[in-house]
Amino acid sequence: MFRAEPLLKIQLMMLASEAQDAALSMARFGVFNPAPCTLDMLAESPAIAYREAWLEADARLSKLLEQCGDRGPLTLPEEAEAPTLADLQELNNWLKEVWSACLSCHENEAQMAEARSHLDVLEETLAKLERLNVDLAHLLRADCLLAVHIGILPVTGLKRVTEALAMTGHLVSRFDQVGEQVYAVIAGPRARHDEVQGLLAQAGWRELPVPGELRTHPQAARAWLESERTRLNTQSGAECQIMDGLREQFGPRLHEARLRLALARPLAEAALAGVRGKGGLAALSGWIPKRQLNALRATLDQHFHGRYWLDLREPAAAEVAEVPSLVRYPGWLKPFVPLVKSYGVPRYGEFDPALPFAFTYLLLFGAMFGDVGHGAVILLLAAALYRRLGRMAWVGMAAGAVSMLFGVLYGSIFGYEDIIEPFWLSPLHDPIRVLTIAVGFGVGFIVFTLLINAYNKAIAGHVSEALFDSTGVAGLVFYLGAVGSVVSFTGAADLADPAGVLAGLGIVTIAAYKWFEAKAGLGERILVTAIETLETGINLFANTLSFMRVAAFSLNHVALALAIFTLANGLDTAGHWFTIVLGNIVIIVLEGGIVAIQALRLMYYEGFSRFFNGDGTEFMPLRLSSQQAKV
Amino acid sequence: MSAYLNTRVSLFSGRLWRDEELDALVSVADEEVADSLSRRGLMQLAAGYDSLAARHKDYRSLEHRIIAQILEEARVMLRPLSGSARSFLTFWTARFEISNVKLLLRSKMTGERPAAVLAQLIPMGAFGRLDTEDLAHAEDVVDLLRRLETGPYASIVRQARRAFEQNHDPFSLDAALDRAYYEGLTLRAQPLEETVGAPFRRLMASLIDRINLVWLLRYRFNYNLPPAQVYYLLVGSRYSLSGTQLQHLAALGSLEAVLAALPAAWQVRLNGTTDIPGVFARMESSAAEQAQRVLHSAAPAIARAFAYLILRERDLRAVRAVLRGRHLGLAEADIRQALQHQHAEVM
Repeated sequence: MFRAEPLLKIQLMMLASEAQDAALSMARFGVFNPAPCTLDMLAESPAIAYREAWLEADARLSKLLEQCGDRGPLTLPEEAEAPTLADLQELNNWLKEVWSACLSCHENEAQMAEARSHLDVLEETLAKLERLNVDLAHLLRADCLLAVHIGILPVTGLKRVTEALAMTGHLVSRFDQVGEQVYAVIAGPRARHDEVQGLLAQAGWRELPVPGELRTHPQAARAWLESERTRLNTQSGAECQIMDGLREQFGPRLHEARLRLALARPLAEAALAGVRGKGGLAALSGWIPKRQLNALRATLDQHFHGRYWLDLREPAAAEVAEVPSLVRYPGWLKPFVPLVKSYGVPRYGEFDPALPFAFTYLLLFGAMFGDVGHGAVILLLAAALYRRLGRMAWVGMAAGAVSMLFGVLYGSIFGYEDIIEPFWLSPLHDPIRVLTIAVGFGVGFIVFTLLINAYNKAIAGHVSEALFDSTGVAGLVFYLGAVGSVVSFTGAADLADPAGVLAGLGIVTIAAYKWFEAKAGLGERILVTAIETLETGINLFANTLSFMRVAAFSLNHVALALAIFTLANGLDTAGHWFTIVLGNIVIIVLEGGIVAIQALRLMYYEGFSRFFNGDGTEFMPLRLSSQQAKV
Repeated sequence: MSAYLNTRVSLFSGRLWRDEELDALVSVADEEVADSLSRRGLMQLAAGYDSLAARHKDYRSLEHRIIAQILEEARVMLRPLSGSARSFLTFWTARFEISNVKLLLRSKMTGERPAAVLAQLIPMGAFGRLDTEDLAHAEDVVDLLRRLETGPYASIVRQARRAFEQNHDPFSLDAALDRAYYEGLTLRAQPLEETVGAPFRRLMASLIDRINLVWLLRYRFNYNLPPAQVYYLLVGSRYSLSGTQLQHLAALGSLEAVLAALPAAWQVRLNGTTDIPGVFARMESSAAEQAQRVLHSAAPAIARAFAYLILRERDLRAVRAVLRGRHLGLAEADIRQALQHQHAEVM
């Protein structure tokens, strides 16, 4: 739970002709994370062609399924084998043919849709030109000295096109705009017509074809538009029938294609990491949990009856950054894991912060938003929304429960401070104590994160960083010394001398380490050492003070409730209770949201950023298929 | 934040190459090249040059490592930035991703295999905003353009698609993409020109004026496009060469006539040039002097950072020329000659 599971790097060598079945078996095995193969003697990449064929076929199938609607769950037979490269290429070619057949229908439908919208445009255009009282037949005469174009172009290019056309004696007159398209008439000398052709094409000008039927009296043009619309409707019905026929014809085989592509997916996915080979031999590399080794051998024996070679080794120190992290969490902790992963994934071997995160996050939320009534509402709301929120609802329920617990400790229920006696303290009546406790908690939290960081660095082999850097033991020594000095300054204890020595020792060690670590010229070195050492002190100070917000929010919670009571007490009975209810809703939604974010912010920036690089790789096992696939 | 960026830029500026250092790189022994490169902060290049096998890596790998170096330095400078300054510098790095878009489009025109084109794309690292795997598997150019239109470069690609649909000309695509990119850059520069002031505006002016003049000459006299189309393809400018001046220049009939019609200060700068690469080289050299002045002035941090990036890129092109020459086994004299002309390479 605190660290990733020990993994083994495996190299599975098998006959190249069985590579797709090996990948399929590994996907069925369920805990194999593919990784690049490092065997130099296997110089070829036999699965690249397989992956390319699969990608093309999968893309085509997706487009076809959009048309056919075959999107239901897919059940893969237990003993089904993966297709060979030749099978896959044949399937891909077939899908290409089907897509071409469907594409022509699809294109026809799209063209008809375009033709309809074109008719709409023509109708609108005609209506506008009617209003302008322009005779289209006269305007568009071919034997005129003036060449006239009616069309559309993007509004963004209008000014530029107008300027450019003016260079050739052309005028642009806009007469309408729909969205980003401007409708315009362009007129200029016919003799210079050729000069503007390239410019208009470049500018995205689309000529609005005005058919002969439209170059007539407006009433006749309207009649033509109506007849065109009827013709399109008839044609569209015929296309629908063709499409339905295609669905019936290809439907069953498309389902089979789905199955085969699902079976081919493992090798295609593994090829992305790198399946190597030479001649008739192929090798699949990756990571498996150490405890699953015997299960893996049994799976391979069952499918390949000894026709394979399995090479295994522990992760080398130099490759720890590339080793994926596989952490097993108990069920109750799993809802909190996405909140940790949204920051980053711990490296292999690093301390996994999910458990302390869960406890500390809930503690901070409860401390900032302690109220029996508000906590109960959050708990009930999260429970009611369980189906929609899924696992995350547990985080809401736990936060609500802790909020209720702190409500008992603070003696607060829906903002009322006089219904139940505080079991521990009332923030509003003892603010200094609350602030001191919050800062004290912050000190403990920062000490914990510095210790974890030192541990992480040490196990990663960066011992000097663990000991001497600002986020390692030296940083911890400085921090404890600085805290001791502040405590002495306030008179709470007499630790000034040992604390001063500790702080001095820590900061000098950090500065010396920064100096030796800065690989740069003298100027940059001095700058880096000075700034980074100073930054250490400032950061730790600021991070500690950051925890004062815990106390501030617990006070804020009471203060908000007081403000609502003051408002409510000035109103009549109905107004009083309306204000109380509305005010409590505002507190739960607004303050509850802010507190949830602040607690997360404290965890991320005052906690995780200190010890958690978050640049680890998540263990991504080779899967059989998309989420719908069931074995 | 500006103190951090100013300090960073000052430290980075120590990495810029002087002419004599470039000259020394031409003749330095193979074993010492990696050391020379890392002394100038080119860790990524040095890492690829520390073994015999790596020295003979292909040209594209060298190109990629140079761009990776520029992106890495841009990433460091972006750290303290926010708002319009961040938006501008991020968009500045998007030029490389636009190159990837062009490469993907060309691959669809030539029917190149997705795996082959994916291997040629510039690795954008943290700056990558495109799903290149998905784009490489588009059915054809139009499908690719449609997919791009749903992504972060929609505004750049939309115009290019319309132009391409009209005439299916690869030139239209490239010209529309380039123009839309620089239009986007000037748009993002506008708020900075107002807040940062003259130093930043001078840098943008030297960049956009150079682009406009070189494009104008190239479209007009290499591709023989009509004046109105040439004017349309230029970047909308509010700098030294105004729209009216560009219209006038585009209507002229020869390179000499265009150069003679330029403002007096430009004529002095371009005195003696007789061809387009020569114009480009002079303009770039003048832009580099401008950037040097801004870098070593008390200008606001973002202007100095931009000046550094301009100079660094110019520098790295020179380093690339030297390393390519060495890879090809050219004589030192030939590399030096190429170095003198490399600034005239087409953008």
